[in-house]
Amino acid sequence: MWSKAREINAGDTVILWLTREALQPLTIEPGKEFNSKFGSYRHSDLVGIPYGSKIGSRTGKGFIHVLRPTPELWTMALPHRTQILYLADIAFVTSHLNIKNGSRVIEAGTGSGSFSHSVMRTIGSSGHLWSYEFHETRANKARQEFLQHGLSDRVTLSHRNVCKDGFTVTDTADALFLDLPAPWDAIEHAKKSLRKDQISRICCFSPCMEQVLRTVSALNEAGFTDITMFETLLRPYDIQQTTPLPTVADVSHKLKQSEIRREEKRQKQIASGHRGGNLNTVNGTHGSVSLGEKRKRTTASEGEDEDMLVEEPSGEKRAKTEEGDNTMAVEGSQVSLNLQDVPMDSTDATSLMKAEDMEQTPDEEKNSKEEKSLQPAKINLSKVMPEVRGHTSYLTFACLLPTLPAGVAVDVTQEV
Amino acid sequence: MSDLPSPHTSNVNENSANIQSGHNVLVRQPNGDVRSIKIDRDSTVAVGRLGSFYANDLIGQPYGFSYEMVNKHLNILPVRTLEEVEDTDATNELINDGKFVQPLTLEEIQTLKQSGVHASEIIKRQIEQHANYSLKTEYSKDKYKKRKEAKYSKSFTTIEPTIYNVCDYWFNKDQSRIRDIRPDTLSQILTMANIQPGGRYIAVDDASGLVVAAILERLGGSGMLLTICDTDSPPAYPVISNMNFPSDMVQTVLKSLNWANSEQEYVSVVHAPLDVPTDEIRSDRQKNRLRKRKVAFDALETTRDLLFGGEFEALVVASQYEPSGIIDRLVPYLSGSASIVVHSPHSQPLVDLQNKLRNTPGYLGPSLTEGWLRQYQVLPGRTHPTMNTSGSGGYILHVIKVYVLHPCSSQIQHLI
Repeated sequence: MWSKAREINAGDTVILWLTREALQPLTIEPGKEFNSKFGSYRHSDLVGIPYGSKIGSRTGKGFIHVLRPTPELWTMALPHRTQILYLADIAFVTSHLNIKNGSRVIEAGTGSGSFSHSVMRTIGSSGHLWSYEFHETRANKARQEFLQHGLSDRVTLSHRNVCKDGFTVTDTADALFLDLPAPWDAIEHAKKSLRKDQISRICCFSPCMEQVLRTVSALNEAGFTDITMFETLLRPYDIQQTTPLPTVADVSHKLKQSEIRREEKRQKQIASGHRGGNLNTVNGTHGSVSLGEKRKRTTASEGEDEDMLVEEPSGEKRAKTEEGDNTMAVEGSQVSLNLQDVPMDSTDATSLMKAEDMEQTPDEEKNSKEEKSLQPAKINLSKVMPEVRGHTSYLTFACLLPTLPAGVAVDVTQEV
Repeated sequence: MSDLPSPHTSNVNENSANIQSGHNVLVRQPNGDVRSIKIDRDSTVAVGRLGSFYANDLIGQPYGFSYEMVNKHLNILPVRTLEEVEDTDATNELINDGKFVQPLTLEEIQTLKQSGVHASEIIKRQIEQHANYSLKTEYSKDKYKKRKEAKYSKSFTTIEPTIYNVCDYWFNKDQSRIRDIRPDTLSQILTMANIQPGGRYIAVDDASGLVVAAILERLGGSGMLLTICDTDSPPAYPVISNMNFPSDMVQTVLKSLNWANSEQEYVSVVHAPLDVPTDEIRSDRQKNRLRKRKVAFDALETTRDLLFGGEFEALVVASQYEPSGIIDRLVPYLSGSASIVVHSPHSQPLVDLQNKLRNTPGYLGPSLTEGWLRQYQVLPGRTHPTMNTSGSGGYILHVIKVYVLHPCSSQIQHLI
């Protein structure tokens, strides 16, 4: 199975990692060139370098990584990337079926060979895989691939419809995997092919619950026991580095500063004798204040939080209004504007910090800088990727117990 | 290992996959609990408070069968298939909770049990006397019978010690001791690390040896597993004893170093006294002692050389220690394109690690995933996901080691 040598040789199959989304298998044939938007590379330049190397393009623009194939990378590099979708299933099936060094395994159908490669890796050279594919073109393609990957001695691939014609071995397999539209039609055949001297296991892979129910009935009728069913998935996480989340302490500090400035401004206005004359609010009654607020509330498309923030400073102002001041309405809306600038998304927190810094007096700046130096410069946040696979298939497992050993009493009186 | 199969087993059943003297056997009790029992020839084995039996009855038996304990002997029970339950018109319309329905008293049941009456007889009498039994739906009747069977039946089922079953047993028994590694998560670790027969791997296992046991099973006696531990002598790895590995399958493959002697600068303090000139050795005892120390010292040096020789194909970490430090220490000994797989029950250490690695040259495509697993009850007409399930099997970070610039000088002109 694929080269285990440290360095790449002519004839090797390698995986080119162009980006996380773009992987590509390549057979090294000196004399040929690999060209892509990630640069231009001579096959002969790859010969002799270690697997896992980062290679720069001949033109100096772009680079690629040259990797040793694994069943997982190989699947990712196939045109119809199913890897991430099925890694969880393949891993779980392999483990539940107890596939290991030396196991004899049957699979139907071969499909794109994803499970086949994984199984052949796990069973090693002392194990064997019988793979059945009823679609002739796919069978030939897979056979060619297995040959190219040096797997011919580990696998026997048959172009065959196992539901109709059964399997080619009897009393042999440790484990059997059915990825067929109608697995129930293959259960009796499967039973024949499984070994009878120790526990053997079967897994049927079906996307629909109706298939599961029919499969379970068929397994039950055929004498399989310990029937269980699972669903398994991988939840990939998205990780972001960001500045620490802004705190409400920052917000309240900012609000207080703004209030102080407003008060200073008012006092200045009083001192200079220039009293503002907004007619709408000149009477300074409660009625006009709440009218103004209502207007604001209906026009503001933001949520409740904002309304509350707006109300609080204006509420305070209300008391002052009774003293005969009337700048409240204008000032209040300024505050709300400032608050609208506060980004609610934590990832944009930088802009808040900057805005705040500009408004601070030198003294405050010093204080807050000391505080900030105590905080970590960046924090890491994780969340599940927004779009994840929600279902692949149901995995129905069952055991076939060995034929009863001689000399053991069977008690049949037990049934209630 | 002390769990060597006794040479006397040859007269029972030659199949090495069957239960042998010295094995730790997992058994499932009627109530679903699984426990581990030690089977030693000519001993009497207790299965919790269910009862006990002569171990010789089980030696040579294949795994997977159910037995009933009768007078310390085992009767093999017929294989049970799923029973089709026929639906009737019964509902719980007329059944009220709390009403007196069972005239058979606890004392009467105790007397029946002590008189040696079979479990099925007790259940039969309970059903006969149950006031509302006939009102129950068929599903409810079935559930009632199963519940009573679990209570009175003196039977158990042997479970084959596959890594899946052993992991499941430990996960249910005490998941914190295996660092929350669930069977699906373990299977993903093995798959992502590309474990295969003949491979050479490094493992850091603070999960009671679950990861070590799993890799040993996949290697099947071929290849090498080097573990780095935090104890001065090689750790016990308790999970390994549940696997009943033949001793050569472990000894030829498993090597251990600790965090001190895996440092390249480490100089053993026992080195000096080994160089005692021959004319200074006074007694055979001293000579013997020196020889033993020399053997131990040489073995350690050989293992150290193995590590420092590098070219390991994967690093698997399930450790209580800070992951980044572990990787920094061990990544130099990995081959290019090797997989690094780090498991943690917590997301945060891996989130930080992922963020660090994606900004560090030499690491390709870090990804963080969490397994999701859902088991279903599959009974005819009653198929649904199980009501209680495990929340998490922990998180896995996977990354590929790459060479920043490959060292081959003839290629330099093509590198950036």
